[in-house]
Amino acid sequence: MNASLYLRRRLTNYFNLTVSVLTTLFGLFWLGWLLWTLFSNGLQWISLDLFTQSTPPPGEAGGLANAIVGSVLLTVVGVLIGAPAGVLAGTYLCEFGRGSRFASVVRFVNDILLSAPSIIIGVFVYGLIVINVGHFSGWAGGVALALIVLPVVVRTTEDMLQLVPDHMREAAAALGAPQWKVVSAIVYRAAARGIATGILLGIARISGETAPLLFTALNNQFWTTDMSQPMSNLPVVIFQFAMSPYDDWQHLAWAGSLLITVTILLLNIIARIWLRESK
Amino acid sequence: MSTELTTDGSVPTTDTRSGSSGHLADKAFRGLTQFFALLVALSVLGVFVTLLVGAWPALEKYGFFNFLTTNDWNPVTDVYGAVAPIYGTLVTSLLALLIGVPVSFGIALFITELAPVWLKRPIGVAIELLAAVPSIIYGMWGLFVFAPWFSENVQPWMTDNLGGWPLIGSLFQGPPMGIGMFTAGLILAIMIIPFMAAVMRDVFETVPPVYKESAYGLGGTTWEVVWKVVLPYTKIGVVGGVMLGLGRALGETMAVTFVIGNSHNVSGSLFMPGNTISSTLANEFTEAAGEIYTSSLISLGLVLFLLTFIVLAIAKVMLIRLKAKEGKAS
Amino acid sequence: MALYPGMSATQAGPLNNGSSSQYQMSAPEKVAASASEPVSVDTTMEPSKIVVNGLNFHYGKYHALQDINIKIPEKKVTAFIGPSGCGKSTLLRTMNRIYELYPDQRASGEILLDGRNVLDRKQDLNLLRAKVGMVFQKPTPFPMSVFENVAFGVKLYERLSRVDMEERVEWALRKAALWDEVKDKLHQGGTRLSGGQQQRLCIARGIAVKPEVLLLDEPASALDPISTLKIEELINELKNDYTIVIVTHNMQQASRVSDYTAFMYLGELVEFDDTTTIFTTPANKQTEDYITGRYG
Repeated sequence: MNASLYLRRRLTNYFNLTVSVLTTLFGLFWLGWLLWTLFSNGLQWISLDLFTQSTPPPGEAGGLANAIVGSVLLTVVGVLIGAPAGVLAGTYLCEFGRGSRFASVVRFVNDILLSAPSIIIGVFVYGLIVINVGHFSGWAGGVALALIVLPVVVRTTEDMLQLVPDHMREAAAALGAPQWKVVSAIVYRAAARGIATGILLGIARISGETAPLLFTALNNQFWTTDMSQPMSNLPVVIFQFAMSPYDDWQHLAWAGSLLITVTILLLNIIARIWLRESK
Repeated sequence: MSTELTTDGSVPTTDTRSGSSGHLADKAFRGLTQFFALLVALSVLGVFVTLLVGAWPALEKYGFFNFLTTNDWNPVTDVYGAVAPIYGTLVTSLLALLIGVPVSFGIALFITELAPVWLKRPIGVAIELLAAVPSIIYGMWGLFVFAPWFSENVQPWMTDNLGGWPLIGSLFQGPPMGIGMFTAGLILAIMIIPFMAAVMRDVFETVPPVYKESAYGLGGTTWEVVWKVVLPYTKIGVVGGVMLGLGRALGETMAVTFVIGNSHNVSGSLFMPGNTISSTLANEFTEAAGEIYTSSLISLGLVLFLLTFIVLAIAKVMLIRLKAKEGKAS
Repeated sequence: MALYPGMSATQAGPLNNGSSSQYQMSAPEKVAASASEPVSVDTTMEPSKIVVNGLNFHYGKYHALQDINIKIPEKKVTAFIGPSGCGKSTLLRTMNRIYELYPDQRASGEILLDGRNVLDRKQDLNLLRAKVGMVFQKPTPFPMSVFENVAFGVKLYERLSRVDMEERVEWALRKAALWDEVKDKLHQGGTRLSGGQQQRLCIARGIAVKPEVLLLDEPASALDPISTLKIEELINELKNDYTIVIVTHNMQQASRVSDYTAFMYLGELVEFDDTTTIFTTPANKQTEDYITGRYG
């Protein structure tokens, strides 16, 4: 046996494995630093006012109430449009489109939409709605978010439906159930948790989206629930306030960041727990 | 319907069974799902057409290739060329891959081969949570926390020690401002690591245990098993994951907008401020006055859309080719 | 390849000289019967529930069933046996056209159920399947309660009051010999039952629709011996009311539960006779080889 060769191989092994451990620590290090920054800068500005007062002019005290409500509304509209459309399109891909050319085109195109930069979606909705209507609006923001939810839900729906074994479909069909019944009563039910997880992850994704809202919902200093008007929302407020030179605004930006991040991380963790329980 | 069936020789409907209303409902259901599948396709087509229409005035004025090769972005003289943002986009994304790919590989290796079972899940989840943090948070953190720290503690050291090297030295020249293309690339790397690491971990886990067992059985070290068995077996997936990460990096907007410095400027040094397509759009789109200005910005968007499209298409074609090759080999 | 009963039967004489006189005696009759009509061996005096004529089946380009002719007697248990890949499951799956869920599978020929061709395009698939129930190799409880599982199929075709539905569910569960085990957990998830219970639940679900034919595709292959025994007892019970066709790779099981047995090999029906004959004095060399374990 060549002892020096063996030694070299072992050393290479130890060196590379050590590097591997270090890369993992490297990844975790940023997560830790980010969260630490958020809590140390944001926690002190979390107060009741944050949820009851609207965004203030510079130099005055205020809260984020209008932005929070706006974000919730935009997200709800985005999900209500994007999720059902995504579930149905995903159903087509899995239940009807196996092996069809149209389905593989849709699958490819859906991947494009999935990886399209969100700011491009913003430009698209700007050209589609904002220009034609003549002004920024909550609806435009909702549609932009829906277009971001859509491919996520299409993909997860197809994946989750594929996990439902074919013999389940056969068993239902063998009882004489028509296909729509097989899908709606059996397949959806078997895949319900997985699909719900996909939708939840979609919600988590859009609740922090900023770029597509810049050109669609824009922002609104005042409290409004009118979707046809420009609408305040957390991400855009955070962007504006963080970039501003005013201390009060920056404090609100940090508080908003903490709020949004904690919400999104919770949504993600819930989604993961759901998925694990369903397995 | 059921009476009709019995007369043409099918199974008669018996007793209380109501005739099947399935056909019409089946058709309707299929049609409904197909409609939404079509809608997905149309929305992407819509994105392309909208961008093309919006970009038309600028492209008509400058010509597509001229627009791509002009290094000038001046709202005052109303002259626009895409060189600086495209350069910034490519440089920051490549930097992100350069840092991100090895780190993602290391993390995936750690999770699949090294970590004790009880640690696999928590680490996997933590890395995935890194991907869930909204990009605007990365931006704020980058601008207010990372950039000052970087300019004080790391940047001077890098300029002193790497700045004198031949070839790559010029990359690290310039005043330590904290913000700039290097910081943008680094933050992009952190943002895309979770995506790439998750894909790599998933594909590593698809390697049948017998392959690994037989390599270990020959006396291979963990590193050799991963490098010579697992990686070749999973290269398709790894390439796919890297492409996914690249797509993210190219289009990422908010984090970059905060830290890149936003100046239309092509510089040989990574420490200088720059711009990317998406940060230009985020900064200037709502403020753009004049048709050509807006149209030039939309042209930038079109370029970005085409870039991400090409990256995705390459990833897909590679996948198909590698699969075909594997099919022949086996 | 000597796959046709007629061809191999002519060889069977000389090759099996002196092996069994019993065998020699019954063979000539069958040679005669099968020579005129190579694959259709009708030994039954019973009324037929299903008559298969000239059935061919393709998976894409693969010719999986070749010119199958068989008559399935009413209210008896008919078993299909043969090595894996011989087409026995495929044949079963043509009888309720479940194969049509997959676009590249197609059948041609005739399958007459009570004299009507179910392969006819005009045949309403859902009604056919309501009449021809099927139980699969793996238990397939739906993701819903035991009660809802059994009621699912019934609700598709009948509007029953709550009381009637409860009666129907209980009736089906009793028929499937499962009632006593699940009567206290009717509203628990069907997937929480044991494997054997799940399979009987699937049988109950199939019976609840009141079909006339039950197709069983290796219903016990995923079960432990005790559950298998229960399923076999159940099959014996059910044949009083239903025409049962069972696919099994377990020859002992076929000999225990069936009245008639068909042996299939490489997509062809080699021999069909009453079970005792098949297992004691098969006319065909291939059948004999298989029965005696020479196929491995």
